[in-house]
Formats: sequence, C-alpha cells, structure tokens
Amino acid sequence: MDDLLDSLVADLEPVRRRTSTGDALAIGLLCALELSMFLGVGSMRPDMRFAIAEPALWWKFATFGVLALLGLGTAILSFDPSISPKRGLWWIAAAVAAALVVGGIVNAPMHHQPDLAVRLNWRSGLQCVMVMSVLALPMLVLLAVLMRRGAPTHRRGTALAVGVAAATWGAFVFVFACPHDDPLYVSIWYGVGCAVTTVYARALLPLLTRW
Amino acid sequence: MAAAQAGDSAAYRRLLDELGPWLRRYYTRRLPPSIVDDAVQETLIAVHEKRHTYDTSRPFAPWLAAIARYKWIDRLRALKRLPTEALSEDISVPDHESAVVSATVLEQLLAGLKPAQAEVIRLVKIQGFSVEEAAARTGQSASLVKVNIHRGLARLTLTVQSQAYADG
Repeated sequence: MDDLLDSLVADLEPVRRRTSTGDALAIGLLCALELSMFLGVGSMRPDMRFAIAEPALWWKFATFGVLALLGLGTAILSFDPSISPKRGLWWIAAAVAAALVVGGIVNAPMHHQPDLAVRLNWRSGLQCVMVMSVLALPMLVLLAVLMRRGAPTHRRGTALAVGVAAATWGAFVFVFACPHDDPLYVSIWYGVGCAVTTVYARALLPLLTRW
Repeated sequence: MAAAQAGDSAAYRRLLDELGPWLRRYYTRRLPPSIVDDAVQETLIAVHEKRHTYDTSRPFAPWLAAIARYKWIDRLRALKRLPTEALSEDISVPDHESAVVSATVLEQLLAGLKPAQAEVIRLVKIQGFSVEEAAARTGQSASLVKVNIHRGLARLTLTVQSQAYADG
C-alpha cells in the first residue's frame, strides 16, 4: 500500500479543475460554430420568411431547443461524480410528453390533410433521419470527450443524457433547413432520428468512458 | 484536496494516508475480505486520476463517497462475472458422529456430579473461563471453584474407570 501511495504522490502534478461552466462554454462555442456553418452554407429553408408565421415551426424549435437544453444540463451536471442524471432524465421524459401533447394540439387544424402515407413521406423522412444524425455527431463527440474527462458515476444514465442532448441538438439545427412542419411527420421521423443517436450513444459511451 | 490539485505533495500524502483507513472500513462492510485491499487501491488510483473533478467550493466527503460507491458497484459486477461451480449433492463432509457422542456421554457423566461441581467444570474445563471468572459467575469463592473442579474430575475418573471395568 505504501508503494502505491508513494507512486501516486510522485506522480502528482497541478491540475486544471473541471467545472460545469467550462464545459458549458465549450458546448456553447460548438453550438455557435455548428449553427453558423450550417446556415452559412445556405442550408436555411427557402420559405423561412413565411414559415415563421406557422405555430408548427415554433413548436419544432421549442421542442428540440428545450430538450437539447435539458439534455445538455443533465449531461454536464452528471459528469460530476456526486450528481446523478436520474432527475434530469425524468425532466426530459416529462418534456417529451408535454411536447407530444402540444404537438397534438398544433396538429388538430391540419387534419384535413391527405392520407397517412403522404403525410409521413418515408423517403423524405429517412433523409431527415440521416441528416439529423450527422448534425448530432459533433456534439456527441464533444460530449463524449467531456464525459471521459469528467467522472460520471452513473455511466449509463449519463450516456443516455448525452445521447438525448446530441440528438436533440442535431434536430434543432435541422429545423432551420427542414421544410416539413406537420407535427405527425416531425413526431415520427424526428423521433426516429433522435432515437438512433440516443441508442448508439447509450450503447457505446458507457464502454468508451470506463474509469 | 484543494492543495493537492495545486500540486502540494505533502498535503496530498496526508490526504491519501487518511483516505486509506476510511476506504478500508467502507469496503470491509461491503465486500469479501479477499478483495478489500484491491478495492481500496483501485479507489485511491481513481481518486488520483479524477482529482481535477473535485469542486473545492463543495464538501469533499460526498465526492469521495460517490467514487467509493462507484468502485464498489464495479467490484460487485466483477464478482458476478466470476465463474462459479455448483456443489454436488453428495459431496463428502467430515463425520460429526464422534463429537456428538462425546458431548452426550460427557453430559451424562456431568449429570452424575453435584450441580456446583458440574457447573464449574463446564465453565473452566469446557468453555475456557478462568477460575476467577467462574467464581464470579457462580458466586463460589476461587478456592471453592478449584476444590469443586478437583473433586468433580476425581469423581468423573472413578465413574469412567468403574464403567470400563464393568464393560470389560
């Protein structure tokens, strides 16, 4: 035991403390960078001037904005060993439920639309899933790095929060480009897109961030 | 820990010296004795590697306890993964017959003595109490305890010898 203590003391060097504020700053920087690059290459939907009058667009922004904030907050806090992500994950679940209810209300006036297959438009839906997953990647990588640097003691819960945060951030960015505002379409395809990123984050991150 | 984060070796050594016994007590209550040392060492290494995650504006104990608990759960998972082998139903075990018979015979022999003699023989010769302790428990004086033991053993010897003679 003494040998171990001696070697630990010999290995001691000053360290830069990890803080939640530092992590939040790094994430904020990435958000600004990714969003400006995405919009900078002309990805904004051409009808944005008209779409902003639609409640469905604001519902999309609010849903994915709030979920991304909740996911990021939960993830950052749970990188601290003494903080569990459980409460944050419950808040996320509640926010998803609330978003679906609000989506249902926003959807009501759109019931005159044609049949389900046309509304869901699976070709376009799969494209949305793919683009959202790609847009989620930079955030996922950054959060994985921060998670490795931190000391999460509930790795699976933290990985889930990281997955939700990255996925919903990707979806939030994609809202600027996606021309589909139908709440049914958004619930299904954005849901699938977010689930894909969340599932592989939940599966991989606990293995990559063992400590 | 705040000093250790700044690179103060002496403070860090003091901290690790204090953490060792605390962690040992923590794991002794939760893990099999054979892996307590490993768990303590692994936790000390984790504390060392993750020392930058300690926020000095908050108490140290919950931070340490969270890491100790995390490593404990890790150990439990590892224990669960260890291969185990079911014991056969007809596995042989030592025979207790002779011990049971001896105890029964001894009780029968002691029953033939005066209660005061049997009691002090049980306390001193079987249960291992000292003469003074037996005296305190029975209310007899120490010298009476010795006399009773001596007389009781002599009587037991006579009984055994006479039974052996009768059997022979």
